[in-house]
Formats: sequence, structure tokens, C-alpha cells
Amino acid sequence: MEEKAIVFDPSLCTGCMRCMTTCSTYNFGATSLSKSRIHIMRHEGHAITRMDEEDELIFEALACRQCDKPYCMYFCPTRAIKKYEETGALSINYDKCIGCRMCIVGCPFGAIRYNTDKKQPFKCELCEGDPQCVKFCPTGALEFVSKDLVHIPKLDFIARKVVELRPGAAEEVPAGEEKNVSA
Amino acid sequence: MSVPKGYAGNIAIIDLTSQEAQVIPADQFFKDYDIDPRLWVGGDGFITKILWKDIPEAIDPLGPENEIIIATGPWTATAAPQAGRAMLGCISPETGGFSSGSFGWYFPAAVKYAGFDVTIIRGKAEKPVYIFMDNKEITIRDATNIWGKETGETVKLIREDVEERFEGEVRVLSISIAGENLVRYAVACGDATSCPGRSGGGTVMGSKNLKAIAVRGNGEIQIDDPQGLLDSSYVAVNKFIEEEPTLKIWKEHGSTTSLSATANWPLTGTRLAENRDAADFPKLNNAGCLNCFAPCYHWLQIKEGPYAGLRQLGGHMTFLTVGLRNIGIQDFDKWVYFERLIQELGLDPASFTMAFSYAVDLFVNGIITTEDTDGLTLSRGDEELIWEVTRKTAYREGKLGNMLADGVAEMAKKLGPEAEAIMPQTVKDKPSIQRDAKLQALIWSFGALTSPRGGDWLRLHNVWELAFLPESRDTYPEFIGMTCLELYERCLELLDMPDDLKKRIFGDPPKINANWVRGIEGKALFAKWSEDFVALFDTLVTCMFGAATQFMMVGFGPSTYAEILNKITGWDVTYDELMKVGERVFNLERLYNYRIKGWDVKDDRFAGKLAYEEGTIGIYRGKVVPWDIILQEYYALRGWTPEGLPTKEKMTELKLDSILDEVKLPD
Repeated sequence: MEEKAIVFDPSLCTGCMRCMTTCSTYNFGATSLSKSRIHIMRHEGHAITRMDEEDELIFEALACRQCDKPYCMYFCPTRAIKKYEETGALSINYDKCIGCRMCIVGCPFGAIRYNTDKKQPFKCELCEGDPQCVKFCPTGALEFVSKDLVHIPKLDFIARKVVELRPGAAEEVPAGEEKNVSA
Repeated sequence: MSVPKGYAGNIAIIDLTSQEAQVIPADQFFKDYDIDPRLWVGGDGFITKILWKDIPEAIDPLGPENEIIIATGPWTATAAPQAGRAMLGCISPETGGFSSGSFGWYFPAAVKYAGFDVTIIRGKAEKPVYIFMDNKEITIRDATNIWGKETGETVKLIREDVEERFEGEVRVLSISIAGENLVRYAVACGDATSCPGRSGGGTVMGSKNLKAIAVRGNGEIQIDDPQGLLDSSYVAVNKFIEEEPTLKIWKEHGSTTSLSATANWPLTGTRLAENRDAADFPKLNNAGCLNCFAPCYHWLQIKEGPYAGLRQLGGHMTFLTVGLRNIGIQDFDKWVYFERLIQELGLDPASFTMAFSYAVDLFVNGIITTEDTDGLTLSRGDEELIWEVTRKTAYREGKLGNMLADGVAEMAKKLGPEAEAIMPQTVKDKPSIQRDAKLQALIWSFGALTSPRGGDWLRLHNVWELAFLPESRDTYPEFIGMTCLELYERCLELLDMPDDLKKRIFGDPPKINANWVRGIEGKALFAKWSEDFVALFDTLVTCMFGAATQFMMVGFGPSTYAEILNKITGWDVTYDELMKVGERVFNLERLYNYRIKGWDVKDDRFAGKLAYEEGTIGIYRGKVVPWDIILQEYYALRGWTPEGLPTKEKMTELKLDSILDEVKLPD
């Protein structure tokens, strides 16, 4: 099966966190932001920072990258983490897990969280190959694509920047956007 | 009584006089306040029941006996669509009667994740304080050095003070300068962004020396059928995205989509296009509350001109409409500055601009002079003057600031009959969004007459006539790829309403055309349905911007609400049962206002003469609006007496028997 990964395009994100409420409801059986396996990190200073302060809107989606060389798996002393070939997901076997949190130490991204009630780490396991966060994202900011296409949102973003910065670009009306502009 | 799934399970009762906070289980609260959650659901339902018991007679709204009630509902903070809303209730400083306002962004979700369905704040602190709800641990903290700070600064300082661990973890509902100075229409503002705007809650918080409420919520909400909830939400949202004709334009322009309708400013106007472009409006991210699929805010940044660099999370319809119509702000960047200024100072944009606009009219008519305005020559459209007067009002500075801070009704009372005659659209001492009730469509303005919180359009919020008014019908449908008639038909087909009701409102067979828009046929019934419907989503609590007959044409109706609510709670409510919830809450609000203020038919009137004169422009040019005829038809449809009060039969039908002894109705 083709290996896929979740990609995130911040320019489409509204910050609504539907991915997070969906994830916790689907995987945890109750709605919660703290039990979500995906986390939208945000800096939303727009209404708070002063006019003379430098500020930018930032969204970043953090979920397990399902690394091909998974440090969480290497760090796990009980071999509780296993890669499932069908989905490409790294999954935790809670029968083996001892709650030592070494996987969290190993993960370079902070993508594994710890449930203090159950005394267990938890992470994105790609919802059996159909990530619900992607399915429920109302704007298409999250996508589940083949691993050889994960760079496309970023490339698209950079391409648009290059076009914008081109000399004389400010005076032009971008093709196909006449209608938008008149709106 | 057991607590259904979907509720957080606790109620916080905080007394600022004794500096004590109590956490009581929801079942105890339901017993104490005689609440069956299936009959009252949450939000406005809970607020009205709490006010009914706690404040049984008229009080000084600024006295310690007033309460701030923050009520979420079973919908809030779940995986349901648009789950980021709650209601803030109190006795209104403007009207002295019932008041509440819906607000969103992330404070409502945080307070529910902290474990609270309802937060009740009583008493008055001796010195400025703020409340910190660290999940279920509630502390009352000193706010002396935050007092006097504007909204954005307050949020930042409190987040530092409570040691927020990552951005957005702690959510803050705070007041600003206007609330501290007891401007009558001050608002509380959630994360400097979303305000229960027309509630007057900011003034009440100010009177309690309560600067802010901060919440850290890390808990979870139990769901009866999690997979079912996800499935139903998925279907509902996707249906909406596929079928809603205005969604594309809505995504680009947020709630300003309706500017063409509410401000008679065609979306195609070049001036508006230039303005929007200057603010980079359509190209910036939308900003949504929890689980929002139809965001009304934008993350804005002004690129050029005197306000270059200004960032604002907003671009909201109310600000733009009142800015344009009431005080004549013409440019987009100035609108955005105005919005930011109003939020930073914590003012209600509608009440403030109506007071300003009224002052201009009084000034032009010579009823007030430069002696009353601290030497200022009042006019519309001069932004430097507007910014100055806005600040003066928030700080209650000088004669002018104090006059405007008291609001339209108080100004008229003090200035006498000559001033009263030219009052802008005001009912029960509360101004609406615009000067002349005849300018807009009938249902929209009629809502101000019967709204339980005074002259306010949001409790009968229905844009169907507005969108089809002659001045907007040619531009609006053009943008959604449909002719006006096609849009009419599509809306009628998709409206979630039983066929017999559609026939009674729109004729048999149901049809919307120019005659329907201009006429009064079916309007009273549509008004009643809309009021019950608004009361319903204000109890769930969810957002009006995804609801049928609101700004978008299709939207969720009671059927969708019932299906999703059942998955959350495990109930088996139906369309009819939910519409009855809305009707029940609306009736209790009406009764409550009668009980404490004696409001009945005599108060369902616009102040001044303007609304009762012949119109000069629009569809009421040369005509008088038959307000009283529609009002009596509406009373009859509601099962009310000609005095505008529910009959005993109506109360029994709505299961309000238990309060029959507590309110004395006329024989």
C-alpha cells in the first residue's frame, strides 16, 4: 500500500480546532482538547498586540510524523511501539507499555502526549488509515497524501511568495482574480 | 435528577462580597432551580430560570444583588459543529430587565472543559479583583494593577499572572475602560475578540469591581454516542457546504457578506472593493470559533495608510454597519481601526454609535450646543472626532462623555420632549442597530419591539426579507450564480420547516416574490417562528451564523439540532420538542420582564415618532408601517392576550405550571 502522511497548510487554517475535538471524540470517546492526538499550536496576537509590535499569525499542526526511523520506537524499553505496514502508523501496544514516557523523550517533535489519568502515552495512529482530523477539517487545511507529495503545500506557498515579490507584481491583478477583486 | 451526557456536571457559584467560591454538582443545581434539562437545555434557558429564582423583583442593575451568569449548553465544547458559544446573562443596566448575549471564540469551551456548565457571580468586591478558574480550583485574585488597562493588555497581563503554559491555554473574559467607568452599555470581551455585545455585562462586571474571569480547562465532555455525533456532524456540515449558495462569498467576506443587505452597499461597489483590497481582506485567513465551518471573522492587517500595521481579529458586520450607517465611517481601514478601538475600550458598538448619532441629530437641531459637547462641533464621518468622542465616552470625560455614556434613552429623558420626538429606534430604553426602523425589512425591525432584552434585532434575527429587498436583490444573487427567483425557490425548498407552516407563511403554494417582501402577509408567524428558533440555538448554545434564516440562507434547522443533540445527550428530542424549548424560554423571558418590570403591550413600542411616520426612502416610502396590527396578530399567534401576556392555557402547554403562583397575571 502507498505510504501516506498528514500535511498541513497554515494558510487555509482558521484555527477552529475541529481536528482536535474530532480526534478526541473518535479515539478517546469524549470531546476534549487535551486528549487530542493532533495539536494546533497557535499564536493569535491579532487582537492583543499593540500596533507598533511585530507580530504574525501562526498556526502549526503537530501530530506524530510516523517517522521511518522512529526514535520513540527505538527508545521504548519494552518494544511496545510497532509500525503497522498496512497504514504506516506507529502504534502503542498498551499491554506492553509501562508508562515510562521514554517515547516522549525520544520524539523530536513533542507529538506524543501523556494521559495522567490512564497513566499511558498516546499518539496519532492514523485512525486505521483514515485520519478523522483530515476528514473533518472544514477548510482542507489538513490533507492525507502520498509521502512523495508532502512537500506540495509548502512549495505552493513559496511559489506564491515568489510571484508576489517579483518586481512590478504589486501593480498587477493576478489572473483569474478579477472577480475576487471586484468583490 | 441525573445529569445527561454532554453536560460538564458542575456549577460554580462565586460570591465576591464574601470572596467565596462554591462548586456544586449539576444535579443539585437542577433541583435547586427547578430545572429539567430536557425542558430548558442550557444557555438562555438556564439564565432565565436562575434570574427567575434569584432576582424575583426589580433591582438596581448596578447593585451587588445583580448577577453575572455564564451559561453554556450541552452543545458547547463537544465535537458538534460551531460548539464554541455560551451566553452571558444579567439584569440589563440599560433596560432594568432581562438581558443576555451570546459570545464565542474559546472562553466558552475552556470554561466547560474546566468542568462548569454554569458560572454564577454575585455580590461586589471591595477592590478590583479577577477570578481564576484553574479547572475546578477557583481563586479570587487582586486586579489592582490591571484596573485601568485596555482589553488586549488585560488579557496579556492576566495570562502572565496565572503563568499560562502555552498560548491559548488560558482564556480570559474581561472588561475594559468603559466597564470600569460604568458606561451603561459596556461589554465584557472574550480574549479581546468575542463579546456578549448587547448584554451590558461589562457594566455589571464593572459595578462588581470584577475586572476579568480567566479559565484554564483541560478536562473532557462525555458524549452519549461519540461515533454517532461525528457521523451526524459530518453529514450536516457537508450538506451545508454543498448546498449553501452563499458559502463561497461568505468565506471571502465573513459576516460582512450582508453589508449589501444591511447597509445598502452593493458588494460590487468599487469603493468597497478598493477598501477591502487595501485591507487584504479576502486573501487573509478566516478565523473560526470552535468547530466552525462558516467563520465570520478574519485575521486582518492593514497594509497601507495611517493605520498601516494595525492588526485585528474581526471585520464583523455589526461594526461595519453601525460605523457606516450611524456615524458615517466610509473606509475599510477606518472601520477596522474603529472595531479595534471599540473592543479595546469595551463598548457596545450599537448602543454607542446610536448615542453618537443621536447627539449629532440633537446638535444639528440645536437641542444641544457646544456648551454640552465640551466645545466640539458634532458631525458624522469625521474619524478624528469619532475616535476622540469614543474615548471620552469610555472614560466618561467631560459633559459630552458623560451624556453619551448614559445612552440614548437617558439623553432623551434629560433633554425633554423635543429631544424625545427625534429619538432613534429605541424600545424599552435600549437602542437598536440603526436610526430608523422603517429603513429595513419588516421582520428585522419588528424583532426590536418584542425582544426580551429591549430594542434589539438579534432575538428575531431573520435576513430573508433583507436579502430580497429591491436594493440588494440584484447584486446579492449575482455573486452566488443564481437569479433572485432561483434563490427564493432554493431557500424555500431547503428551509427546515413543516410544509403546513411554510404554506401559512409563504402562501399556498409557498412562494417568495416582491409582493411577499413588501407585504405583511405571514410576517407575524414568521416572526414568531424565528424568535422561537433563535431562543432555541441560544439555549443549545450554538451560533446564529450557521443557522437557518440567519445570514446564510440554508443553515441548520431544528431537525439537524435534534439529531446532533440526541447523539450528545442520549435523548430522543424531535423538531417539535426543540421548537417548544425555544418557545418556552422566550415565554419565560417575557413573563420575567412582566414580573419585574411590568412590561406588556404598552412597552412594545418604539420611542419617539420616527417609526410611526411615513417613510422617506426604501420600501416604506410614503407609507406608514402598521406596527400595531402586526403586533396583535403576533400576540394571537403566540397564544397571548391583547395585553401581550401568555394565557394560563399557554403556560400549561409550555409546562410552565410550576411558576403560575409566582407571577400575578391580569385577570
